[in-house]
Amino acid sequence: MNASAVVFYILSAFILATGLLAVTSRKIFRTAIWLLFSLTGVAGLYFWLGMQFIAAVQVVVYVGGIVVLIIFSIFLTQQSGKDLPSPLRRRTVFSALAACIGFALTCLLLSRYSSFRVKESDYDFAPDMSISAIGNQLLSTSEHGYVLPFEVISILLLAAMIGCIVIAMKSKPGDK
Amino acid sequence: MNQIPLSHILFVSTALFFIGMYGLFTRRNMITMLMAVELILNSVNINFIAFNKYLYPEKLEGVFFSLFIIAIAAAEAAVAIAIIINLYRNLHSIDVEAADEMKF
Amino acid sequence: MLSIENITHSIDVWLYGTFNPTAALLLESLIVGLCAITLFAVLGLVLVLMERKVSAYMQIRLGPNRVGPGGALQTVADTLKLAMKEGLTPDGADKFLFNLAPFMVIVVAMLILVPVAFAKGTQIWDINIGVLYISAVSSLSVIGILMAGWASNNKYSLLGAMRSGAQIVSYELSAGLSIISIVTLTGSLRISDIIDSQQDGWWLFKGHIPAMISFVIFIIAVTAETNRAPFDLAEAESELTAGFHTEYSGMKFALFFLAEYVNIFIVCAIAATLFLGGWMPLHIGHWTAFNHAMDYIPSSLWFIGKTFFLIFVIMWFRWTFPRLRIDQLLSLEWKYLLPLSLFNLLLMTLISIKGWHF
Repeated sequence: MNASAVVFYILSAFILATGLLAVTSRKIFRTAIWLLFSLTGVAGLYFWLGMQFIAAVQVVVYVGGIVVLIIFSIFLTQQSGKDLPSPLRRRTVFSALAACIGFALTCLLLSRYSSFRVKESDYDFAPDMSISAIGNQLLSTSEHGYVLPFEVISILLLAAMIGCIVIAMKSKPGDK
Repeated sequence: MNQIPLSHILFVSTALFFIGMYGLFTRRNMITMLMAVELILNSVNINFIAFNKYLYPEKLEGVFFSLFIIAIAAAEAAVAIAIIINLYRNLHSIDVEAADEMKF
Repeated sequence: MLSIENITHSIDVWLYGTFNPTAALLLESLIVGLCAITLFAVLGLVLVLMERKVSAYMQIRLGPNRVGPGGALQTVADTLKLAMKEGLTPDGADKFLFNLAPFMVIVVAMLILVPVAFAKGTQIWDINIGVLYISAVSSLSVIGILMAGWASNNKYSLLGAMRSGAQIVSYELSAGLSIISIVTLTGSLRISDIIDSQQDGWWLFKGHIPAMISFVIFIIAVTAETNRAPFDLAEAESELTAGFHTEYSGMKFALFFLAEYVNIFIVCAIAATLFLGGWMPLHIGHWTAFNHAMDYIPSSLWFIGKTFFLIFVIMWFRWTFPRLRIDQLLSLEWKYLLPLSLFNLLLMTLISIKGWHF
């Protein structure tokens, strides 16, 4: 067990612990902060895997965008100093049971079929080149290019933007 | 990095997925449900990146899939927040069980 | 010649020669962390004094002049006073988050410091996504402010935090687009590549008018992002008492105060790196004699000089422009700066494709 492995286990424990706190905490703002820590931990995991670009995108979009948006909606709809109502006992028990059984089942499958053909390779695409490689392949029109999904995503984002504005817009008083 | 078998990363992502699922089942506040969905999406992203790195390190497909998932998650969160704000304006509550009428 | 690069290199060689790699790496991280904390403390002391002296000069008064020679020790005395004070935690506050928020702000400021090049070859980590890393981590700093505002359980704090959040999130767009316009010219996100590409002139001059426009936009955007006047709505004294840090006192208040000044230093350092060549001396094209003469000034002095000049400009703003209203602030970003910087980015792309820059 070397330093890299220790870092991995610490990161995983951090992600899972903060994730668990994010779904069980009764104070809604703390929930958002635990979610933030969990997402940052996932970004750290990407860093550990040597995918710096994805890690940075994760931080920009999730932490700088989505969590801030969530915190804003908490500011607009909740009251400070008030706890969330605790969920029904029956629902908690059955949800925990479902999650545990699902986890156990998936782990069983994983341990049975985990003979992946892992390629012994350390940093095949040099970390330096990966960003320009990502950019080139993302916008290439050749066989393995991703320009069509890229454009579709951009249209989807535009549609989502217009949709959000229309949904959240205040209807003027005599407009109905 | 090569010290850790791929299955350990998959265990982490599976655990994160089921934590998110537990949150989605127990919570009744729309914002916290949205957070649980984000956890689930993240667990899928971890899988894509880990498979890409371990099985096909010379390719970038997993990176693209997770980039697209992140983009769609951002769009989804924005629309969900817009719906939550609108719901709060009409019902003064964002509990999913408060929204039990088909028409306001 | 004794330079910072040689010192750090010899320390590195000695550490790896004496200990095994893991221990050496740990020790190096420890040294770097201590250096960062020392830098923060020194920056806090210097910048607060500088702000008070600059503002005194602008208003034709003397500023602090009692403690130490010419008032030089005034901030040390202030820090001592703050350290003696009681750190209150309000009764209705979410105590955990209330105490976490100042540390979050400081840690984020420390993380942004990682890829900044202080002098030739002096960088904590020359990460390959350099400027993307900077814009990613700087988007974290808003979280600390929002946390402080919510956890205080105070209406002024909440309003200040909401204003600050809206402001930082919107002005991040313009700052990011200005950074991207320089990245289109250099073709690399790595900080050392960006500095190397300014070997024969700074981008501010090489990139024609679009580079100047993006420089001005970047300075405006970072002034707003660091909550400085004229964009200091988050802590507007006359309307919100002190905004998000109304409830903070003692050392926790000092941490917020320190973070503000450290953030100013960092954004000015980034502006100096992107547009003014970082530690690169003033080189003009092929004037070899002139370039050699400029090389005699050490690179760290160039970096510090440029950064402190930009800090002075930002302090100058504070005493020149009146505070904006929140609607004016947001319409300035969304109606003027954002379209302008998008158009400017297009222009910049055209320039870099056609190779019109020098």
